[in-house]
Amino acid sequence: MKYSNEIKVGATIIIATVIFILGVRYFEDLPLFRGTHQLETELSNAAGLIPGNVVRVNGVVVGSVDAVRINPQTNGVRVGFHVDSGLPIPEGSRTMVSGFDALGVVRLDIALGPADNPRIPEGGFVEGRVTTDLVAELTDRAPLLFDQVDEIVGNVNAVLGDSRVLLGSDSDLQGALLSARRSMTTMDNLLRTQQANIASAIENVNGASGSFNTFMEGNADSLAAAVSGLNATMAQLESTLDGLDGTTAAIDELLGKLNRGEGTLGLLLNDETMYHRTDSLLTSLQALIDDFQVNPGKYLKEMRLVDLF
Amino acid sequence: MPLVRTLLVEPAGSVGRYALLLWKAFATLGDMKSYRKNIFDQMVHVGLESMPIVALAAAFSGAVTTVQAAYQLVSPLIPTSIIGSIVVPSMILELGAVLTGFILAGRVGARIAAELGTMRVTEQIDALEAMGLNSVGYLIVPRVLAGVFMFPVLYVVASFVGITGGMAVGVFGGFVPLGEFVAGAREFFQPFDPVFGLIKSLVFGFTITSISCYKGYFTKGGAEGVGRATTEAAVMSCVYLLVADLFLAVTLL
Amino acid sequence: MIKVDNISKSFGDKQVLFNVSLEIREGETTAVIGRSGSGKSVLMKHIIGLLIPDEGRVFVDGVNIDDISYAELRKVRQQFGVLFQGGALFDSMSAFENVAFPLRTFTSKSDSEIAYEVHQCLTMVELPDVGKKMPSELSGGMQKRVALARAIALRPRYILYDEPTSGLDPETSNTIDDLIKSLAEQLNVTSIVITHDMHSVLSIADRAAFIYNGRMHWVGTIDELHASTDKTLCDFVKANEYQIGPRS
Repeated sequence: MKYSNEIKVGATIIIATVIFILGVRYFEDLPLFRGTHQLETELSNAAGLIPGNVVRVNGVVVGSVDAVRINPQTNGVRVGFHVDSGLPIPEGSRTMVSGFDALGVVRLDIALGPADNPRIPEGGFVEGRVTTDLVAELTDRAPLLFDQVDEIVGNVNAVLGDSRVLLGSDSDLQGALLSARRSMTTMDNLLRTQQANIASAIENVNGASGSFNTFMEGNADSLAAAVSGLNATMAQLESTLDGLDGTTAAIDELLGKLNRGEGTLGLLLNDETMYHRTDSLLTSLQALIDDFQVNPGKYLKEMRLVDLF
Repeated sequence: MPLVRTLLVEPAGSVGRYALLLWKAFATLGDMKSYRKNIFDQMVHVGLESMPIVALAAAFSGAVTTVQAAYQLVSPLIPTSIIGSIVVPSMILELGAVLTGFILAGRVGARIAAELGTMRVTEQIDALEAMGLNSVGYLIVPRVLAGVFMFPVLYVVASFVGITGGMAVGVFGGFVPLGEFVAGAREFFQPFDPVFGLIKSLVFGFTITSISCYKGYFTKGGAEGVGRATTEAAVMSCVYLLVADLFLAVTLL
Repeated sequence: MIKVDNISKSFGDKQVLFNVSLEIREGETTAVIGRSGSGKSVLMKHIIGLLIPDEGRVFVDGVNIDDISYAELRKVRQQFGVLFQGGALFDSMSAFENVAFPLRTFTSKSDSEIAYEVHQCLTMVELPDVGKKMPSELSGGMQKRVALARAIALRPRYILYDEPTSGLDPETSNTIDDLIKSLAEQLNVTSIVITHDMHSVLSIADRAAFIYNGRMHWVGTIDELHASTDKTLCDFVKANEYQIGPRS
């Protein structure tokens, strides 16, 4: 049978169209003959997500990203994507970006909501997961920590000032307290210097590509540990200074006794217990500061993350 | 003065004549009756009859791309799936359209120019006009439309055959398992790529057929003129195809 | 009635026609004669609007064809049948399709009606059996006759012949001449024959117009042509006879 040109051309165009559609679907990793379900989500950070990236549920590819754009109303990132229509995405599902941009393998993960929730309709909206941005948290917390340190050091100064008034000028006690104050000042300065370093380090971290955030998610635990380590250090410092407070209270008590005529100033000054207590406190404080100076990284564990870059 | 003539006046004249010819052609676009039958003939000539050579060239270039990608990937750190990531986009984005374009510039472009050139020098175009027919509408519109419709079809065929050829050589040549090839292709696949390829092939189809029609329609000087028009049509089609390729890449990517 | 009014035409720097005027009367056969390159074909192309004069006007049935839209011009052209020098058959179509082409394009006749008319036209040019052949399979004379069949397919009011006998042997030329004459009688058409073949002119034409170096040199009836003492015209007529010799 001889076919007319119209039929030949028409058949060719139809076959080509079918090949085109099936081919595109094949490489988009869509089911070849089933429909898809169009959905949207909004994220705070797309982390390099582009159209064509895969959408996964529990590590299984179920669709792909169609569009990524900034939503000017919220400054968030609006992501349109589609999933295999055979897979219902229930209400309460959450989306998040995972993978590492530098390797070009970013994907959109969906954490499914409870299975008995109603399905999100075609064109519906899936909540983006509110991911705790650890770097941002660290940035926020750092000045607070340093204010705390400042405050404590200020207290120490005040206490020492009181002691000096009480104790006159050339006693051993005064010398000891003076050296304690010097140590405090050194520590204060040191912390101030470090503050700048930490701030710039944090800035570096922020300045690094958005992929850092994505990467962070995998290392969230260690970063959290770093922050809590820093907290612990500060707490330790605080308790040390509490000890100093205690010492001052003891001095107060001694002075009270002195006023009440119990013992003599010479006795007080020869009271070795008191002296040793102050001395050991200052020694341990000094050790802490020395250690801090020698190995600040130990106290600022999060700095190690910076080493990555 | 002669330099000004060669560099400015004559090109301007050519562009003007080309534009006017196309304007005249598309002014008759609504007059389907005069070219309805012709357009299917042309679609068969431009499209179906070009398919074997296009498929052949695409299959080999896909295969060669695979082999070369495999040859250059000596590092054990790079997964072999990258071969799929190279072959598929290069087929879809560039080779599928440009390779088809080059083949058709030679095959279709030369054919159109020779056909119209012969019709011009043997007064067949005058005969059409003298009958009261719009020769531009009758001869040029179906050819250009056939190019615009059939080039995307050929592009799809070329991409399909090229990718299949690349896959086949990758798998049977032992360069990359099928699964990895496909995974690599999917990892870097963007839905806009094939759309861009389609747009490209459409533009190439228009460029090649319209330039060849222009060269053929304004042929002068007998058999020699037909030969000259044919050569110029093929060469100019290739040149403007490359220009269009760059232009599209700059504007759309 | 066709009236060519004082037209001039140049191609680039070369002027081909100088103030040419010509009147073609209804029902007559007018021969436009002259040497090769004298501008005869250019004049013919002006008559059907394939060329536009630099100066002057061309009237077909009182309408200035340079003054109307392309669509209207195409309507005017449909009243013409043109036989081009080489026949100008569409070489992608069979003889039948060539003759059927104007019918298919400009009429809404059914296929059987068209087949009937094509057969009639081919019979008129005495080639009833060549329908299936492609132009390349036909001899030069047959090509011209098929082209003539195509030219008359729409029953035109005017037929233009561009060198109908050039390149043909004397016998075929005679056949063509007879055809032109019989068509003029059968179809009652007005014919314009562009030729340098004086034998044709003498056997078919009612009137002759002699173009010399792009100017209309002489116009008159065939009797007046015989009686003319114009030296240039007589030289042209005589040269023709010496060159070709009297036909058998």
